[in-house]
Amino acid sequence: MGTPLAVLCKGICKRYPLFRLQDVDLSFERGTVMGLVGPNGAGKSTLLRIVMGLVGADSGHVEVLGHRMPAEQVAAKYQIGFVAEDMRLYEGQTIGFHMDLVKSIFNSWDDGYAATLLRRLDLAKEHKVKGLSHGQRVKALLLLALARRPNLLVFDEPTTGLDPAVRKEVLDEMMNALEDDTRSILFSSHNTLDIEQISDYITFLYGGRVVESRDKETFLDSWRRLRMTNPDHRPLPDLPNIREVRQSGRLCTVTVADYSDAIPGEFVGAGLRVDDIEALTLEEIFLSNVHHAKGLAKAEAAS
Amino acid sequence: MTDSIVPQLVRKDFLIWRRLILIFCSVSLACIAAVGLLHGHVPNHVMLNLGFTLLVTPAGTLGIVLLMQTNVFEKAKSTQLFIMSLPVTARRFTLAKLLVNVPVFGAVWLVTTAAAFAYTFGLGLLPPGAIPMMTMIFLGVFVAYSGILAVSLLSQSLGTTILAILFFEVGTSIYLWIVALVGPVGRHVFGPIAVWNRTAIAVVALQVLVAVAAMGTTLVVQTRRRDFV
Repeated sequence: MGTPLAVLCKGICKRYPLFRLQDVDLSFERGTVMGLVGPNGAGKSTLLRIVMGLVGADSGHVEVLGHRMPAEQVAAKYQIGFVAEDMRLYEGQTIGFHMDLVKSIFNSWDDGYAATLLRRLDLAKEHKVKGLSHGQRVKALLLLALARRPNLLVFDEPTTGLDPAVRKEVLDEMMNALEDDTRSILFSSHNTLDIEQISDYITFLYGGRVVESRDKETFLDSWRRLRMTNPDHRPLPDLPNIREVRQSGRLCTVTVADYSDAIPGEFVGAGLRVDDIEALTLEEIFLSNVHHAKGLAKAEAAS
Repeated sequence: MTDSIVPQLVRKDFLIWRRLILIFCSVSLACIAAVGLLHGHVPNHVMLNLGFTLLVTPAGTLGIVLLMQTNVFEKAKSTQLFIMSLPVTARRFTLAKLLVNVPVFGAVWLVTTAAAFAYTFGLGLLPPGAIPMMTMIFLGVFVAYSGILAVSLLSQSLGTTILAILFFEVGTSIYLWIVALVGPVGRHVFGPIAVWNRTAIAVVALQVLVAVAAMGTTLVVQTRRRDFV
């Protein structure tokens, strides 16, 4: 029997007037980090809200830490810490007021850890929410989520709008939270650096669909950029995994997904000379995926 | 681990809004005292009209301001997302809002109503025949509040809540005028004794039913709601 799943989503559909989430599958094991990456409007926040039981899917099955959502959301939420970019605290109240509220709800609240987080995140209980900067507000939300010692942390764009120093603090605390082997994190971002830094698994969403979902190493390893010479502008081999082609004079650059050692041979067979094969960063994969997905969407619309 | 966090959510709203509640309660008490001071200085019909306005305005304003702050603005300011990330369902969230708003408004409304009855009939501003009509008027205030609260909790929209306020304010006035003009109730208003005939009892029962149904329906609808942020 394998490691139990932190989150299991199967065939999730959700329709809005101007957007729909289509047949989304997403799962990852306890003790791992799943990063959701996608452009604005891809459906990341909707998916996370469905996982939290805050939005009901039109169809599909959602289980979080073994609890069916949204039916068993109360039991599940006792084990989840959720932070969203658009989440706000009560302006007229202090951080201490919010800490007392969360503490009164969660028996798992850890006073010592809360005090450590206050110190590490440079916050004070007496700080009024009204006077907090965006970065301090995110850190306060992070503290409230972490000090209850949840088994699953769900973060929706936690680092959006943060300066590099605060972003590092937030990411460091997310990493620290993983010292507990059983704790899992599901987080979304369009900042690919953040995703690349802490994720074990990556799911790429575009237009309400999962374009790719796999472990980070395989994900990064499956993409390559081939720099080739194509002096006679010969046609490229018809490979389904070509994602992007750029021809500039004699030089031809091709980005491929699902790379295998046989692929360079296909180009050599077509009369091209392969000069270099490079790995891609997640940012480059992200952009290439968006480019490809846009092309597919246009073709689909045209047909 | 407690199963329901409704008590914590109720306590949270009381703590946040305690000053506002205290201010309006104080204003209500001051208005009750002020109405008493009017006696003997203004004609009875002026005291009746002025007294009604002075007594009902602080209570009504408290009810509306509190439901706006605890409900409509909670959604608008995204603090609701924080609360809904805690172990709570839409139904329990709504129940907590009812348990904050109804007792606060209910208490002020009850004291105000008692004061209005004490002044009206204790000072002989109206004869006892007006007791059923007065009961309907003050119950009407509570029914209108219940309707506004229900619409506000269900819509969580400022615009819709304002429309509900207009609808229930105007609707209640029209309804009460119709009741006053109905023979079996209207004909006894200036009589020497309170006549609780079948019409009067039916009207009061209907008002209580509408108030209870408004809150019950709100809870039922919220239980079935799938999207809550």
